[in-house]
Amino acid sequence: MNIGLKELVFLCVALLTTVPCLIVVFSRNVLYSAFALFFTFLGTSGLYFFLDAEFLAIVQVVVYIGGVSVLLLFAILLTKNVDEIRKTNMTSAPRMALAGGAALVLLGSFVYALLGTHWARTGTPDYPATTTKGLGDLLLSKYLLPFEAASVLLLAVLVGSLVIARRSVR
Amino acid sequence: MELTGITSYLAISIVLFLAGLLTVVSKKNIIGIFMGIELILNSAALNFAAFSRLTARNLEGQMVSLFVIVLAAAEAAIALALLLAIYKRYRDINADHLTTLKW
Repeated sequence: MNIGLKELVFLCVALLTTVPCLIVVFSRNVLYSAFALFFTFLGTSGLYFFLDAEFLAIVQVVVYIGGVSVLLLFAILLTKNVDEIRKTNMTSAPRMALAGGAALVLLGSFVYALLGTHWARTGTPDYPATTTKGLGDLLLSKYLLPFEAASVLLLAVLVGSLVIARRSVR
Repeated sequence: MELTGITSYLAISIVLFLAGLLTVVSKKNIIGIFMGIELILNSAALNFAAFSRLTARNLEGQMVSLFVIVLAAAEAAIALALLLAIYKRYRDINADHLTTLKW
């Protein structure tokens, strides 16, 4: 295995994705968890660039960082007193022990499956040079029905979240 | 075996999924639980994109990733709206205290 510039950058992006995850799990301050989640999303976007999925990477930045992270920060702002922010994201110790055991078992089985499987290349060898055009073609031909269903879903979400979160008017 | 192969992406995905699982099960704050759900969805989308690029070598997996991202965004909006409604009513977002529906 030779380590070139590409491998070094990949390693940095992988660390940027995985290390903040642990902060999300173990931080006691919900604000730190939110900012760590921001970096995880950024790292995932970088991994999409490594996978030649540039459209997906941009969507990840726009939707997760521009949408979900900001929404999370607003939720934190609107729900909790800032003066007790230091212990707003406590973990429950018995459930943490339970989940830790389950996670260890799962980790063992995942690593066993990962190392024991040979991932063959089954599809066609001609991966397209730019994915955006291909994705657009697929969206408007084979995946037209899910696309329309997603648009209806987003409309329902828009109306529904307004109805749920509005101030009740008498 | 190369560093940017499928195994690395799957390993990263495992870390994301297990971190999400730990977060969902152990956090008391509803916002914390919600962050865990986002991590799990993120790991699933990453897996689909990795298999799409490195083993199947077409765009179908990326399509699924796209829909996963859309559904995650929709879920985020609804979850946070529900969170605000719960906070308005009970002045509390600790999941252990919201036991009105429990016998």
